[in-house]
Amino acid sequence: MSDPAVIVVRELSKHFRTFRRREGLWGGIQNLFFRDYQTVRAVDDITFSIRPGEMVGYIGPNGAGKSTTIKMLTGILVPTSGEVLTNGFVPHQQRTAYVKTIGVVFGQRTQLWWDIAVVESLKLLRRIYDVSERDFDERMELFNQVLGIRDYLHTPVRKLSLGERMRCDLAAALLHNPPLLFLDEPTIGLDVVAKDHIRQFLRAINEHYRTTVLLTTHDLDDIEELCRRIMIIDHGRLLYDGPLNLLKQKLLRTKQVKFALRDSEQTTGVRALEHTLHGDTLRLEPVDELTYRIRFDRSRISTAELIRQILATVEVRDLLIEDEPIEEIVKRIYAGEALHEANA
Amino acid sequence: MSLRNIGIVYRKELTDSLRDRRTLISMIVVPLVLMPVTTIGIGVLTAKIIGQAMKEAPLVMALGGEDSPGVMEKLRRLKTIHVVPARPDFANLISDKKIRAAVEIPKGFEEAMGRGELPTVQIDIYQGELRSTIAAQRLEQFFRGLRDAEVRERLVARGLSGSLVKPFEITEKNVASPEKVFGNTFGALLPYLVIVLCLTGAMYPAIDLTAGEKERGTIETILCSPVGRTHLVLGKFLMVLTASLATSALATSSMAATFLGAREVLAGLARDQSNTLRAAVHPSAILAIFLMVLPIAVLLSAGLLAIALFAKSYKEAQSYISPLMLLVILPAVVAVLPGVELNARLALVPVLNTSLVAKEIMTGTYHWKYMALIFASSCVYAAAAIFLAVKMFQREDVLFRT
Repeated sequence: MSDPAVIVVRELSKHFRTFRRREGLWGGIQNLFFRDYQTVRAVDDITFSIRPGEMVGYIGPNGAGKSTTIKMLTGILVPTSGEVLTNGFVPHQQRTAYVKTIGVVFGQRTQLWWDIAVVESLKLLRRIYDVSERDFDERMELFNQVLGIRDYLHTPVRKLSLGERMRCDLAAALLHNPPLLFLDEPTIGLDVVAKDHIRQFLRAINEHYRTTVLLTTHDLDDIEELCRRIMIIDHGRLLYDGPLNLLKQKLLRTKQVKFALRDSEQTTGVRALEHTLHGDTLRLEPVDELTYRIRFDRSRISTAELIRQILATVEVRDLLIEDEPIEEIVKRIYAGEALHEANA
Repeated sequence: MSLRNIGIVYRKELTDSLRDRRTLISMIVVPLVLMPVTTIGIGVLTAKIIGQAMKEAPLVMALGGEDSPGVMEKLRRLKTIHVVPARPDFANLISDKKIRAAVEIPKGFEEAMGRGELPTVQIDIYQGELRSTIAAQRLEQFFRGLRDAEVRERLVARGLSGSLVKPFEITEKNVASPEKVFGNTFGALLPYLVIVLCLTGAMYPAIDLTAGEKERGTIETILCSPVGRTHLVLGKFLMVLTASLATSALATSSMAATFLGAREVLAGLARDQSNTLRAAVHPSAILAIFLMVLPIAVLLSAGLLAIALFAKSYKEAQSYISPLMLLVILPAVVAVLPGVELNARLALVPVLNTSLVAKEIMTGTYHWKYMALIFASSCVYAAAAIFLAVKMFQREDVLFRT
């Protein structure tokens, strides 16, 4: 049976040996003579697979093992144990052949050369990746259309803004039209407009070319806008792997109700409402003069019950029920809370 | 092995470096302008200082000698020194450079001389101090003249010929070719400079292309490209070697040009050395030296690359490389020292061997056997350094040190 997956990772681990530094002056002297080594499990026994055309968000706090995983998947690092098979290659063994089938973008670092014009870097990459001139021109045309990079093709990279540089880096990574794209923090440090531009572009190439995308990020808006599937890693272990929606459903505990009073006469009613809510240990937070917000736990009070209480005490002009922001859920997961519910 | 890929990496690094102002400064501006200006400048300054000191009449204190008015009168009449009255703290005055020397004339000097005794004149100096040495030389010259005159007088008094003191004359004549004389005087310096320049020229790019990439975080991106690690390191190495050779060649030729241009000026400043300064170096000698230095440049470039690659940051790389500077400069200096000569054992010591053989080449002597041995041994060391650099580039714990 052939495996349709583009990326297959089985029981993958990467351990680093680092040396533990003792503190203080005496510790510094001791460090010179006695080294205390310890093994850090940067990635610890993870297993997953990704099918063609999928766009997967890979999230986790700093030092969780995201970048190490990406480095193993791109063949830069050799795994300590376990198997990786991507595009039919074992990355670290067949690296040079394999990397011609992938594109990689590291958000904080550029693969374009700092002091030379963007177009020169791209031309050099064309030679490195053996892209024919016709294909090159064709793709450049597309990148100009979608990414709008024509204006700064002749500018040295060091003079570009972060957003412009990221667009050029994406063009460089996709010059050889790889079926698989790795993005490590692609929107880090970008402003809202630039982020939106990058996301649109990623969606476009995913739809048009069925490019498989694995992206790590700290910005959960990236995930919400781009990915249906999400993998959460912490301390090297995969905590969750599944649809984003499912995670939300299982873990969404708190919601918030925002309501606007009909007029300023209703403020007396608000005090009465505050009193009623105290019984349920809920807090009324003012948003502006007439608007208030209440966060509540669905397991303790139902939405219907809360709304009934509000409407019984005050007259409202507008009422809005919202889910807990994804950031809050992820924060709870990092804090070690309640994932078994989601995985169950 | 794909030469094409190595070529691509080399071209990329070269283009990048040529756009980088810092590389341009260290590779072109410094050797082309700064090196000749400083070396020639120091030469001119030294010649000027010596010339100035020679022109001056140093202050000399005469101690005693009240009972020897004849000697004192002659001493005072000397134009080359200026005699000042005696003071008991003369030693301190010499140390403080208030006066340059003192001469102690013993009691009853003239009388003792007349009686045929052996009185001693003592000259007090500040050893190693230029003006004090000049003053002492002049005093000594004066007293030698006095002594010779006295001898001649005594001989004549006894009815003997004055030439008995000097039965024969001694003269010196240089038979070595101007090339050899030049080679021996300045020749040792050139190879030293060439080797040191090879090192300094390679240093900046070696750090920038390795630890610099790590610091900028671009090492991951280059490792993601479909160029093998061996090709990457070889391409980088070629770039470092280019910088090393370019710096060295540029500095040497610009120094030669400045030297030729300033020859007249220098000759005017230091009249004694005008002979040697007029001498020329044969172009084939320069070529031979560069050929001999080539494997050393390879060794230094690859060695620097391997060391810098180990470092996590620019700063760390610099602190690793500073001791290496000493390691290279020391043997090069030893070769410049007079009396150190080439032998089979020294021919195997890297850097020192090349310095020594280059010194010989500068004087027009070609020891073919040694040259072959030195070239071969340097090539072996160079190959080992390249091998080390390539091996280092394969190691994950070196590329991603934490």
